[in-house]
Amino acid sequence: MDITAVAAPSARVAVPRGLVPASVVLAGAVTSLVGLTWDIQWHTDVGPDTFFTLPHLFLYAGSAISGLASLAVVLLTTANTKRDKAVDPVVGGRAVGVFGRTFAAPVGYLVSGIGAALFLVYGLWDQWWHGLYGFDAVIDSPPHIGLLLSISITMVGAVMVFAVARDQKWGTYGVAGAAATLLTFSMVTVLGLRALPGGLVNTVNAGSAFFSVMILFMGAYVLNRRGGALAVGAVVAVLQAVFWWFSPWATEVYAHATGLPLRDYTDGVPGLPNMIPMSLLLVAVAVEVLRGLPAWVPGLVGGVIITALAPVQRILVYGAKFPALDRYVATVVAGAVLGALAGMLGRRFGQMLRHLAPVKENTHA
Amino acid sequence: MRRTLLGLAGAVALLFGLTAPALAFEPVNVVHTEKVQAGPYDLTVGFSTWPVKAMQSLDFTFAPEGGVADKKGTLTLLYNGKEFNDDPLARHPRKREVWGLDIQALPEPGTWAFRFDIDGPAGPATGELKNLQVMEQPGPPMGLSWAISTIPLFGLVALIVIAWRRTRTTV
Repeated sequence: MDITAVAAPSARVAVPRGLVPASVVLAGAVTSLVGLTWDIQWHTDVGPDTFFTLPHLFLYAGSAISGLASLAVVLLTTANTKRDKAVDPVVGGRAVGVFGRTFAAPVGYLVSGIGAALFLVYGLWDQWWHGLYGFDAVIDSPPHIGLLLSISITMVGAVMVFAVARDQKWGTYGVAGAAATLLTFSMVTVLGLRALPGGLVNTVNAGSAFFSVMILFMGAYVLNRRGGALAVGAVVAVLQAVFWWFSPWATEVYAHATGLPLRDYTDGVPGLPNMIPMSLLLVAVAVEVLRGLPAWVPGLVGGVIITALAPVQRILVYGAKFPALDRYVATVVAGAVLGALAGMLGRRFGQMLRHLAPVKENTHA
Repeated sequence: MRRTLLGLAGAVALLFGLTAPALAFEPVNVVHTEKVQAGPYDLTVGFSTWPVKAMQSLDFTFAPEGGVADKKGTLTLLYNGKEFNDDPLARHPRKREVWGLDIQALPEPGTWAFRFDIDGPAGPATGELKNLQVMEQPGPPMGLSWAISTIPLFGLVALIVIAWRRTRTTV
């Protein structure tokens, strides 16, 4: 048999350096998000839980995928550094020493990897918690919030690894995708704020406003171009629409496959997608229109839009009652203050992310 | 190639072999019962752990004599005499012949009550399980649990502070 091969370099498509590991980390993050929306729906519509339900496997797999990709990049970078080979900062940013100079880790992958490692630690904490408190399906228990925060750190790492390549097309799209994934995921993490005494303020609504405005601004200012906020908002809207269909559908299919019935009196409202403010696109438009003003102004407007329209979304979806007026006003005021702060912070975070790699300007933006 | 395929087949078999038994959902074990009289209806309230502790989840079953098929109703939870929650009585997902609450916890210690408004062949009636004593939560104080669980958040804040100080110029 003739096994000689003819080299055909012209047929090979050059993959930009850094695109593959960044995409794998983002794919892991999206897998976690899919697992979360499915798991929440499962508990609402069906119920019974074990360690090995499919939604849980998605959650574990998501962190595993991101974590292994991050580890691979860190090991490769370490090997290259030890061999005195040049390390390209477009792969995850500048390398920093870990444990002295034992490892050289690009800062973006270091963050995404730490998030995945923390997920394992909080998995053990969660296991212990369930042993003590039972297999409750409470999303905002302390260990669950620890797990959600760990995944969020991986997602922050995903934003970082794309932000480094922001002067390239794949970096731009990646920032919008990773920021939208983080934003969507954070709408569940903010449920932990129920543990805070908010007085008249609805802490979850105010928290959703704060985090969504902040992440929207962060994405917009990393890209630093017209349409940046709209791009993040549009990806969030697409995720919301897809999950609106996917979550109940996957839950029903999985329930049938395992021979479990749906609960009596399920309302059929998709849990996670409904936690995302539908008004976010409006906020993104406001951010684009008020671009010339100091960041706190569009931030404040964004905070007000989200907190003011949150009860409207609940009325439309659930037929819920409008909240008491004093509670409503207090929450909108909190939304305005937190939105202004989130606008300023998000802008600054965006600028911080731009520092990750010394890229040549005016190549793309 | 054959070895790779065999290895892959082994891994898949292990995965499904381990997953299948793990997917068998636990049956509902009633370890304690209380009787409630709601007019003409005899209702047996079952608990899967006893005594009940705050925040510790358990299965509650509500079994009316004669079954649930021809009846419907509402369950209202009362904490220290105040209404906490009310929902239609739904079948327990893992014990479909009775009503129930699956893996649910009562959040606070103290005196709870369950009020049952039942409508069936003998007309509507109300009964109450009074003085359900819920003990203090097990485990460490919540402040400590929250402190442990929010370490990633503080780590992220520390990272932001470091990055903030190193990136004062605009690029």
